[in-house]
Amino acid sequence: MTILMTALYDLGYILIFPGFLFCFLVGMLLCGIDRKLVARMQKRVGPPILQPMYDFFKLCGKETIVPAAASKTTFMAAPLIGLAALVVIQLFIPVFGFTAFSGVADIIVILYLLLIPAMSSMLGGAASGSPYAGVGLSREMVTVISCELPLVLVLLAVARTVGNAMGTGLCFSLSTIADFQAANGSLILKGSMIPAAIAMLMVIPGETGNHPFDAAEAETEICEGMLAEYSGAPLGVYKLNHAVKMLTLTSLFVALFLGGLGTGILPLDIIIMFLLCVALTAVSISFVHAVTARLKIEQIFKYYWTVVSGLALISLVLAWYGM
Amino acid sequence: MFKKLIEESTGRSPWLFHINAGSCNGCDIELVSVLTPRYDAERLGFKLTGTPRHADIVVVTGPVTKQSLPRVLSAISQVPEPRCIVTMGSCPQSGNVFKGSYSVAGPLSKYVHVDVDVAGCAPKPEAVIDGLALAAKILKEKRGQM
Repeated sequence: MTILMTALYDLGYILIFPGFLFCFLVGMLLCGIDRKLVARMQKRVGPPILQPMYDFFKLCGKETIVPAAASKTTFMAAPLIGLAALVVIQLFIPVFGFTAFSGVADIIVILYLLLIPAMSSMLGGAASGSPYAGVGLSREMVTVISCELPLVLVLLAVARTVGNAMGTGLCFSLSTIADFQAANGSLILKGSMIPAAIAMLMVIPGETGNHPFDAAEAETEICEGMLAEYSGAPLGVYKLNHAVKMLTLTSLFVALFLGGLGTGILPLDIIIMFLLCVALTAVSISFVHAVTARLKIEQIFKYYWTVVSGLALISLVLAWYGM
Repeated sequence: MFKKLIEESTGRSPWLFHINAGSCNGCDIELVSVLTPRYDAERLGFKLTGTPRHADIVVVTGPVTKQSLPRVLSAISQVPEPRCIVTMGSCPQSGNVFKGSYSVAGPLSKYVHVDVDVAGCAPKPEAVIDGLALAAKILKEKRGQM
């Protein structure tokens, strides 16, 4: 009986909250709010907040063309692999006190899983056999490498700070980090964590592939890069991946730096989490999108490995010496 | 219910692909002006895409020269169904001042079914938005018949 109950709970976690359905609805909503905010910042009326939903359902109803040069199985499966990885990440990210699945080292799992959506779009692009996808793919690879270093440094800095306080050296468990913050206040209030938080804010648009770091999907020069040959439902899933990625990264930020704001009541916590995600999207994605133009790929690389990594490194050094 | 949802969404999210078939660039600039803060066609869900595979509505400008005709037709055939074809400006409809030229193969309606014609040289942004909104409505009907 208890095994059945646990299985049912796990299924609920995976399919409804914080799994697939939650990711779908909140990710789409975040994406819509982002588009509306960018429009308002540019003095436009902007699309309705539900626009990404319309786009997704429209794409579901479109014909799916598979190019003759493509390898069909990989071409069709790639977007779903990316979506599955994103949903799994969301299961590991705590909503303040609540975690669906927690482990000893879930930060490392998340680090690996965050690569899979990018890998899946590279895989799909390569399978489509389009030269535009080839260019987009090489750019995406560089973007991923650029973002990875600062992200690892930020995570290490957080792990070291919490580990120091707990006396365990390094703490790679997100639920322990959440508990620590619930007891001792949010990590962002610590002076040594502020550079890491700023670095993480700068990593978010790069990881999601938003402006100005969208050289890989530059629609005006390389025809949307890796997505050039996609149409219909698989394209819709890619658009969904992009939306869910925004939720994943902003909620990871909340889990890492703002974990002290929870109330302990789950529905209220979800609402607070959502509002924080919206605020983070507004600051790190919409605002940056509205005021910048697209960077060249070598500029992206240089920016992440100097400015952002430098900020994260400052935090790591401070944390290492127990400040 | 799902079918109804898709049909409703199709009318609200038409993505554009723009083909220049030998246009003088006047209509091309006017089309971009439709997306600027003053007219903001994005409030109706319009979005310019970079590849025909993502598009729902194909906007053709220019008198369709002999050089561009095979490219126009191949681009249009790559747009997934349901799709709409909109001609923008007088050129693809009638040839305009280029009519009778040795290099013009138009009008476009000789080769493909055209859903909406937006006349003018160049058409006003209001007229373009009106034509595109009509195309979105046709798109929704086409989806309903599928």
